[in-house]
Amino acid sequence: MRLLKNLAAVLALLAIVWATFLLVSYILASTLFPAIEQASQNIFASILRVIVGLATFTAWVLAWYTLTKIWLYKVLGVD
Amino acid sequence: MLEALASFLTVIAVTPLMIKLGRRVGIVGVDVHKSSKPVIPKTGGLALILGSLIALLVHMLLNHDSLPLIFLSTGLIAGFIGFLEDFRGEMNPKLKPTLLLLASIPILVTGSYIPRPVIPFIGRTRLYKIYPILVALAYPVTCNAVNSVDVLNGSMIYTSIPFFAMSSIIAYYRGNSFILTMSLICISILVALIPYNKYPAKIFPGNSGSLFIGGLMASTAILGRIEVAAIIALLPQIMNEMHVIFSIGGIKSAKQVKSRPVKFVDGFLTASKDRSAPITLVRLLSAGAKVSEKNMAYMMGVLAAFTSVLAILTDLLLVEAWI
Repeated sequence: MRLLKNLAAVLALLAIVWATFLLVSYILASTLFPAIEQASQNIFASILRVIVGLATFTAWVLAWYTLTKIWLYKVLGVD
Repeated sequence: MLEALASFLTVIAVTPLMIKLGRRVGIVGVDVHKSSKPVIPKTGGLALILGSLIALLVHMLLNHDSLPLIFLSTGLIAGFIGFLEDFRGEMNPKLKPTLLLLASIPILVTGSYIPRPVIPFIGRTRLYKIYPILVALAYPVTCNAVNSVDVLNGSMIYTSIPFFAMSSIIAYYRGNSFILTMSLICISILVALIPYNKYPAKIFPGNSGSLFIGGLMASTAILGRIEVAAIIALLPQIMNEMHVIFSIGGIKSAKQVKSRPVKFVDGFLTASKDRSAPITLVRLLSAGAKVSEKNMAYMMGVLAAFTSVLAILTDLLLVEAWI
């Protein structure tokens, strides 16, 4: 029973990661990628786009890692 | 189809020989999740490689294109790096991803990629500068991700088959016969290895097997132009790899990690409560539970099947409109 609950929780986590991945890929495609591909545009706008893109990606990875860690330690009863 | 059949029969036929070869040459590993701690040959990857080489030969006799050679050579480079590790012992954990960048050379040198991936809600993009870099990075990321789930009897195979099933389905409705053939060959060699690698395993795929399959997955994504779907289908493997890296504080060798993610108690796997232990998919699934190795490998397959379905849905609903 516990295994099925764990499986359901990991499936839910994967669904969250999938949905947020779609959002993050949209943000990266509108910020980071154009900044690298279109070198002729305003330099400050490019830097800002790179920062926003990288920050979004880092925040995404950290968010699902933290979410996983909180869930795991709660199930394991670890403080 | 003939290629898939030839590769299936080859793997079935050569795997017993690879078991003998592995024992004779000493390419073996301890099956740590068994009470008797048996020593098992790690030469299953060589059987997978031989199976795909035969398929390539059959394909080249039937068709006259060079793309399958480029496709397979990426896997062969990754598989060779894995074989070196199987043969000589654990490689420097930072050197391995660097060497795996070499697997991208056949695609980059021949210019076999099209740097215009479709991104959901955006459409077709033009990534002429960044795409070659992403191609190079795809190999270490994918190979290490696949390698990271090769921890239980059958787990690498059960998590890889859904990926190639996904690429077969997408290739079928897009009418991409090349990727359909290559995906079916990959499914065939993996299915053929199941009788030997399922619980209790008689052979392990080894690093050669998991890196070879990882290399072929990356090439399927690039040559099949299914980049987004491939990332989604590989989420369990990628998450597993990222969790390990984050929880142990960087890319480290297994020997540098003192605490194991799971404990083996009375024939069952159960998650470690040690905070310094790496966070892995197996640890997540066995948290507060006792799970047999066989069931755990099936559950990992369920996760991969789930994300492969999500990948197909994403491709159908958000990517296909721009193809």
